[in-house]
Amino acid sequence: MDFIELKDVYFEYEKDKPIIKNINLKINKDEITAIVGANGSGKTTLGKLIMGILKPAKGQVIICKKDICNMTLAEIGSKIGYLFQNPEKHFFCNTVEEELAFALRFNGYDVNYINGKVEELLTLFQLQDKRNDSPLFLSQGEKQRLAIATILINNPEYLILDEPTTGLDSYRKGILIDILKDLIKKGVGMTIISHDHFTIEELSHRRIGLKWGEIQYDERN
Amino acid sequence: MTKGIKVDPRTKLVIVLCLSTLGIVMENVISLLFILVLSVVIVIVFKVELRKNFNKVKRLIYLIFLIAVIQSIFSPEGNIILSVGRITLLTTGGLEKGLQFILRMVIVIISAAIVTTSSSREIVQGLVQWGLPYDIAFMVALGIRFLPILTEEVKDALIAIQLRGIDIHNIPIKRRISLYSHLFTPILAGTIQKAQRLSITIEMRGFRAYERRTSYLVLKMSKWDYLFIFISITFTFLCFFYYFR
Repeated sequence: MDFIELKDVYFEYEKDKPIIKNINLKINKDEITAIVGANGSGKTTLGKLIMGILKPAKGQVIICKKDICNMTLAEIGSKIGYLFQNPEKHFFCNTVEEELAFALRFNGYDVNYINGKVEELLTLFQLQDKRNDSPLFLSQGEKQRLAIATILINNPEYLILDEPTTGLDSYRKGILIDILKDLIKKGVGMTIISHDHFTIEELSHRRIGLKWGEIQYDERN
Repeated sequence: MTKGIKVDPRTKLVIVLCLSTLGIVMENVISLLFILVLSVVIVIVFKVELRKNFNKVKRLIYLIFLIAVIQSIFSPEGNIILSVGRITLLTTGGLEKGLQFILRMVIVIISAAIVTTSSSREIVQGLVQWGLPYDIAFMVALGIRFLPILTEEVKDALIAIQLRGIDIHNIPIKRRISLYSHLFTPILAGTIQKAQRLSITIEMRGFRAYERRTSYLVLKMSKWDYLFIFISITFTFLCFFYYFR
C-alpha cells in the first residue's frame, strides 16, 4: 500500500534555484526506504516536504490518500514521527522524564499510561540514570536517543529519521538498529535519510539516491 | 541608492533619525501625513524593497491597529461618535489619537527601512567611525546577526511541538499558554549555548575587542552625503520652527 505519495513535487528556497525538481515517488509502509545522496542533494528538504514543514511550490504530497495541504502539522505528526537532524529541536522541558511525557500530557492521556510509557522508553534507550537531567546538557548520543524516544512515545505508524545515527558510538548504533528492526516487526514503516552506509545496509529494503534534487536511482534489495 | 551615488550608512542613519523624530514629536494628523508621504518618497528613491519589509512587520501591524483602537476607546476628548447607554466607546478626539499613533508607527517603520539598504557590517562601521566604542558596536553587530536566527528558532520550535502531535490551535487557552511557556526553555538555553560557542570560536580565531583596531572597511563620506545630511537637519529644524512658533 502507498503510504506516502509525491506527485511532481517541485521546491525552491530561492527563485529559479530548485532544490527538488518534479519528483514523483511512492513509498510503501511495509518496507524500509533509505534516502541517500551527497550534501545539498535535497534529502532533508524532501523529508521536510513529506512532513508538511515545507510546502511544495508545485505538486502534491499525499499521506494515506490525503493531500497534506488539508492536514495540520499535528495530524501529520501523529501519523508520522519525524526526527530532526538536530536533536535539540525536539526538547522543550527541563528534565528527560518531562520531555518524554510532554506530548502525551498535552494530549490529555492518563497519568498511569504516561508513566508506564516513559519508564518503557527510558529503559529501552538506556536513559534511566538521566531521567532528572536537562535534555540540553546531555551528550550528543544521549540527545539523539532521547529525541528518537520522544517520537516513539506517540506510537506513530511511520517514521522519517533524518540522520538517526549521528553522534552514536558503534555499540549504541547497534542498539538503535535493533530497536528499529523491532519496530519494523511491529509494523512501523520508516524512511531513513542518512550517510551511514552500515545502517542503510542493515535496515533498508529500498534505496533512493538523490542528486541535485532529482532521483538518480531507485533500487530494491 | 540612485544611479552613481552611493550613500554612506551614517547619512541614512541621520535621515532616519530626522524622519522618526519628526514623526514622534508632531501631533497634527496633516503634518504626520506630510512626513509619511515624504518618508515614502525617500524610501522609493533609496530603492527599498517595501514588500519584503512589509512581510517582516506584517504581524506588528495588527498590534499597531489594536493599540490604536484601544487608545481611541479610552480617550474621552471631543464629540461622541459611538456610545452604548452611558458608556462612551468612540470620540472624535479618540479617533484622532488612534490615527496619530498609526501614522507615527508607520513613519518609524518605513523610515527605518532606509537603513536596510546598507549591510549590518557597514552600519556598525559607520557607528564606530562616529566614535562608538568598539565593544558596543560589536554587540550591536552580533544582535543584528542573531535576531533572524532567534526568529527562526521560535518558528522551528512551534513546528516541532506540532509534529509531536499537539494541535496548538485546538487546545484550550489555559493549556496553550502553558505550552507557549515551554518555548522559552529551548530558546533561552539555545541562545546561551550559542553565545558561549561563539565567544570560544572567535577567541580561538584570535579575536579580541581591542580599542585600537584596523578595519579593512573604511567608510568615506562624499559631498553628496554632506549635502543630504545638511538638507535633513535643516529641514527638521525648519519643521520644528514652523510647528512650535
